[in-house]
Amino acid sequence: MINTSFLRISFCALWLLTVGAGIAVMLNYQNTCGSVGTTPEHWPSKTQIALDHNRDTLLMFAHPQCPCTQASMEEFNRLMAQCRGRVTAYVLFLKPSQFSNDWTRTDLWRSAAAIPDVTVQDDIDGALARKFGAETSGYILLYDPRGQILFKGGITDSRGHAGDNAGESVVVSLVNGQNTSLKQTPVYGCSLLSKTCPQPGTVK
Amino acid sequence: MNSSASKVFAAADTVSRRTAELFKEQQQNIIRHTDRLFFWLMICQWFFAIGLTLWLSPRTWAGVNSQIHPHVWLAIVLGGLITSVPVLLALTHPGKTLTRHAIAIGQMLMSALLIHLTGGRIETHFHVFGSLAILAFYRDWRVLISASVVVYVDHLLRGVFWPQSVYGVLYASIWRSLEHAGWVMFEVTFLIISIRTSLNEMHLVAERQAKLEALNESIERTVAERTMELTQENMERRQTEDKLLKNQAQLAQAQQIAHLGSWEWDLVKNKVTWSEETQRLYGRTPEENGVPMENCLERIHPDDLPQVNKIMAESLRTHQPFTCVHRAILPDRTERVLQGRGEILVNDKGEAIKMYGIVQDITEAKRAEEALHRSEEQLRQSQKMEAVGRLAGGVAHDFNNLLTVIEGYCAMALLKKEEVLPILKNIEEIQKASERGASLTSQLLAFSRKQVLQPRVLQLNEVVHGMDKMLRRLIGEDITLSTIFEPSLGRVKTDPNQIEQVIMNLAINARDAMPRGGKLTITTSNVTVDQKSHFRNRTLEVGEYVMLAISDNGMGMTDEVKSHLFEPFFTTKDLGKGTGLGLATCYGIICQSNGDIRVYSELNFGTTFRIYLPRTDATSESITTLDSEDLPTGTESILVVEDDPAVQELAVIILRDCGYQVEKSNNAFEALELMKTNPEFDLVVTDVIMPQMSGKDLYEKIKKQTPHIEVLLMSGYTNDALAHHGVLDEGLHFLEKPFSPAKLARKVREVIDAAGTPRAFSPNGANGKSR
Repeated sequence: MINTSFLRISFCALWLLTVGAGIAVMLNYQNTCGSVGTTPEHWPSKTQIALDHNRDTLLMFAHPQCPCTQASMEEFNRLMAQCRGRVTAYVLFLKPSQFSNDWTRTDLWRSAAAIPDVTVQDDIDGALARKFGAETSGYILLYDPRGQILFKGGITDSRGHAGDNAGESVVVSLVNGQNTSLKQTPVYGCSLLSKTCPQPGTVK
Repeated sequence: MNSSASKVFAAADTVSRRTAELFKEQQQNIIRHTDRLFFWLMICQWFFAIGLTLWLSPRTWAGVNSQIHPHVWLAIVLGGLITSVPVLLALTHPGKTLTRHAIAIGQMLMSALLIHLTGGRIETHFHVFGSLAILAFYRDWRVLISASVVVYVDHLLRGVFWPQSVYGVLYASIWRSLEHAGWVMFEVTFLIISIRTSLNEMHLVAERQAKLEALNESIERTVAERTMELTQENMERRQTEDKLLKNQAQLAQAQQIAHLGSWEWDLVKNKVTWSEETQRLYGRTPEENGVPMENCLERIHPDDLPQVNKIMAESLRTHQPFTCVHRAILPDRTERVLQGRGEILVNDKGEAIKMYGIVQDITEAKRAEEALHRSEEQLRQSQKMEAVGRLAGGVAHDFNNLLTVIEGYCAMALLKKEEVLPILKNIEEIQKASERGASLTSQLLAFSRKQVLQPRVLQLNEVVHGMDKMLRRLIGEDITLSTIFEPSLGRVKTDPNQIEQVIMNLAINARDAMPRGGKLTITTSNVTVDQKSHFRNRTLEVGEYVMLAISDNGMGMTDEVKSHLFEPFFTTKDLGKGTGLGLATCYGIICQSNGDIRVYSELNFGTTFRIYLPRTDATSESITTLDSEDLPTGTESILVVEDDPAVQELAVIILRDCGYQVEKSNNAFEALELMKTNPEFDLVVTDVIMPQMSGKDLYEKIKKQTPHIEVLLMSGYTNDALAHHGVLDEGLHFLEKPFSPAKLARKVREVIDAAGTPRAFSPNGANGKSR
């Protein structure tokens, strides 16, 4: 009888441990950031979009099919709410040329389009993404009117989870003319170009 | 009192224990039910999680390439892992504590998974609160604690290691985990309160249930006891019914044996019901049971019906019991004599509502009674005859001796007519008176069957034929005598003189019944009786008979006369015209001859007497009668033994006158002495009734000592000394007193001649000559 109970409890303990391990895997995945390419420190020339020389220019690269980017889009919306009128914002959706526009016109597109003062446009074959070194969906770039980069990285603290995060705070501060030490945050989302992202806290 | 109190306490303790049992049982049922609920819920949640990931994040992308999103695998694997153990326990160990705690933990883990899969949406957090509410279904606060602990630990660990994943900040105090847990505890607190309330209600319900059960048990026990009592009562009732049926069967059997049935007449409905025996006695069918009384009365003999109606009506009027003997005619026309008894049942108002009673078959009893009556009558008749016979026998001996002397001397005197011419008439009258006296004595002996019969085989046709002249003379000219003889008429063995006497008596009666003339018919025929028949206490046995019928067409007889017809001294004739012995004599003679006599008479139409005598196959014996008036003579030596001197003297004179050598003796001893000295006697004529030694004993001694000597016995009454049942013993010669000189002379001559060898004692040697 005792053995049976012991076995039963042991079994349950083992179960809990296994579940715990699973959760650990889950959390690990959640907190594993995407890759970041080489982002130009200065606004590149010959881009399809123009740098706003009067105010900061905010770019967001997104994969239209990425489910994790929904959280980034929510945070981008909140960010725009705080920075409206002080930045020129673009959301650039990867659009492979072989796909029709339907491929990009997802809920994510419509969410982005619904954010006021945000320009949403296709990034054909990820040309701009490559030019700006964006490799993970949800990647944010902030340039000042002179074309000097102010910030790069993600605005979620983990994959697919909205909420307060360092990236968003940094962008708001920068737009408001405040200086921050943090210039780069990890980005969580699907790969735009299938490259790994750098560890958070480091700025290339 | 103590017993009652202990019973109350015991009942309360039982209710308490039962309450606990029911409460636990109910709780266990709820837990098991909730286990099942979570079994399905967790499975559904698992599939939901999979579906959710397939909907929200089906694939992960790398440029234009995509693959299944890790969340999908996470939902499948981790969700399956979380779900597996609770579901397995719910399936295999429902109701166990470990199961529900595993479920609680698993459910909270599933909440965490879902929250994660939905990107930490605040809406998904309601799954936690919803799950807690559902876990409250267990009504076990400990389960909620387990779930809360999981929530708290999750937040604690996340707060330590990934604070931004739960608090949205890069750093949070460890106490902040209490904020989230606090909201959970807020809900859990009220859920626990709710659980306690619910448990209290459950307890109350269990208590009520226990009380109800106790009440039910009490009722059931009462019902069981009552049922047992009813079963017992039923069994007793069944036994009573069995006994009743047995009694009824015994009653029916008793009724059948006693030929006694019962009946009941419902006067209100006019409905008569009866027992099986009553039904049998009246020849009814079971279907007729319950018919009106009018139908029942149809079975009553019409002659008895008025009397029955009268008795029943009287009983109905007076309400008194009644007895009624009546005859019933059955459907097969047989007749039964039944005796009914009845009583009346009245209601409170004194009105007759029912008549009930019994009916008994007394047919056999009636027959027995009639037989007894016949026997008594026979006995009475026998006693009467015996008395008369004793009287007749008592006087017959001496009376006949006297008559013998009178008649003898008269006859002898008449032989000398010249000498007694002046008084001839007187002597003839004396002789007639003597003959009537002899006849009277003879009849007395005849009807009392004391006379000695000397039967012979004869043919009645010859007897009647021989009486033809005498009968015609007897009945007179106004009456025609007709005879119808059976040519092949059988023979009978009877005393011819007696049968002549019978025919003569019946002829005289017929004559007297036809004072204005008529027809007398004498018929003979052979008759075969194939069935016993009774008449006047006599039974005519089955056999072959010769029937002699004497019929007249005279005035006939009433039944009353018929019933006394053969009684001695009963006569319908005027005083002095009949002795009342004629038919009694006939009856006595016929009965003594083993025959029977029947009378058939119809008033104003005539009477027929039928005499039945047993037929015999023996040959007829000729009746030798000597018509000559001359006395036969002889010379043989005769010894007369007679104790009556007068008779002795008369006999000696007659025989000497006939030429015989006569010696005399006063008694048997003297006679024997004489025979010793003179053994040459041819014949001894001896009286039968003598003192010291009877004539029969003398006969025996003579036959022993000197067998060649013939013996002639004479007597007026033998008292069965010579006869059995009145019939003379074989080989004896007998002369009935009174006798005339002629009768004596003829008888003596007949006996000597019958001996065959006359002994020449007479000097002239004459034998058998008449004088």
